Amino acid sequence: MIEFIHTSKSFGKHTVHRDINLVIPKGKIMFIIGPSGTGKSIFIKQMIGLIKPDSGKILVDGEDITAMGEDELLEMRSKFGFLFQNAALFDSMNVFNNVAFPLREHTNLTPAEIKVAVQAKLMQVGLKGVDDKHPSELSGGMRKRVGLARATILEPPFMLYDEPTTGLDPIMTDVVDQLILDTQRSSPGRTSVVISHDIKSTMNSADVIAMIYNGVVVAQGTPAEFQASQDPIVRQFFSGSKEGPIIL
Amino acid sequence: MNLFEFIGKLTLSVVRTTGGLCIMLWDSLRWGFRPPYRKGLIFEQLDFVGVQSIPIVILTGTFTGMVFAFQSYIGFSEFGAESMTGTVVALAMARELGPVLSSIMVTARAGSAMTAELGTMRVTEQIDALYVLAVEPLQYLVSPRITASVIAMPMLNLIAVFFGILGGYLVSVIALGINSNLFIRGILTYVDMGDIMSGTVKAAVFGLILSLVGCYKGFFTSGGALGVGRATTESVVLSCILILFFDYILTAVMF
Repeated sequence: MIEFIHTSKSFGKHTVHRDINLVIPKGKIMFIIGPSGTGKSIFIKQMIGLIKPDSGKILVDGEDITAMGEDELLEMRSKFGFLFQNAALFDSMNVFNNVAFPLREHTNLTPAEIKVAVQAKLMQVGLKGVDDKHPSELSGGMRKRVGLARATILEPPFMLYDEPTTGLDPIMTDVVDQLILDTQRSSPGRTSVVISHDIKSTMNSADVIAMIYNGVVVAQGTPAEFQASQDPIVRQFFSGSKEGPIIL
Repeated sequence: MNLFEFIGKLTLSVVRTTGGLCIMLWDSLRWGFRPPYRKGLIFEQLDFVGVQSIPIVILTGTFTGMVFAFQSYIGFSEFGAESMTGTVVALAMARELGPVLSSIMVTARAGSAMTAELGTMRVTEQIDALYVLAVEPLQYLVSPRITASVIAMPMLNLIAVFFGILGGYLVSVIALGINSNLFIRGILTYVDMGDIMSGTVKAAVFGLILSLVGCYKGFFTSGGALGVGRATTESVVLSCILILFFDYILTAVMF
């Protein structure tokens, strides 16, 4: 379980989060949605200590990561998998070495065992014959899948996805959505957080949704509850209309 | 911008950069001495900074020695001291020209590449990816580059000095007709190990400067491709300024 307790964050005079209280339940997929530029990605960067809140606490399985030193943070991060918006693959390495990287850093597996694990993981995300390719030779969808393979190869108990379907065509969006669900199902206790503004993906994949706007969580609930919501902010966001309380 | 505003901004920038460089140096040293020791990455950087810089350092050293021999000969011939050409070329190469010119060439070749590579990694979130994969980027990216540069630069300096003296010898003996024995005896008489060592120490310090500045500017790059370009330019300029500044300081301390 991940808990945000009265967290606030500003960059200069720009307030991104104001007194956030949010609980991400264990074993569920929570989608954090909201208009662009409302600080959604800040949430997941705070969960792994890349950005610290100005005030408040963030508890990961009961441990406050805002009070951790660098060694504790490194250890805590090894419990997380993170799929970046643009995959953030190491462009000096080929696909095989990108996916093998966490295994080489954090396990004592032999090269032969690493080879087997990497190839199994690449098969799992629907990729084969790309081991020797470099990230610049891959399409956006393939990069996302390699990124997902790298993020999940250590089978982390927490998975964070930063806009996983942004920039993908509808078919590839469906493939990535399915991979997120498969990743979740492969480890039932896993807690996942997906940052998104893709309504279709959200409704298909989320167990719980939180909507952020203007620095606060304006709505929280299941997809069915969001579907039935009469909140004008939620309604405008779901309808995609430029008319309404959301100021662009 | 008025004069006071300019001075204020310049002062803040100098203080911020100096503080940032000191903090990065301290953190990189701390992480460099902690396991896992990244020997493979250090050897990779030794190849990039050291081995791959050898051709450009040989070229720079040789031509500098050749030109210096010519210029010295012209000056010395005014008062019949042509035989001192070898001594002056060797002293200048060992104490000053070897370390300074080889460091500036390595800054242009490898320091700039460090900034561009780390800067690109920063703007494409690859450095953030290292953090989330529970790998400390200072230990993975910065410490190996600094270690390799501090080891490689003294070697490159010795190569530059050797080829500078060789270039000076070829010009002096073949083109200017100075006696070969006189050239060599002048060097053996007036140049001692202290001169070579002072140049070697300088080169190690310059290696630290060019790698630290290269990594610092790259590590904190922002602003996409434009930011990477700007950081690379700033890195080369700042490294060259600091190399020349510390050359004076080290010369004043050592001689």
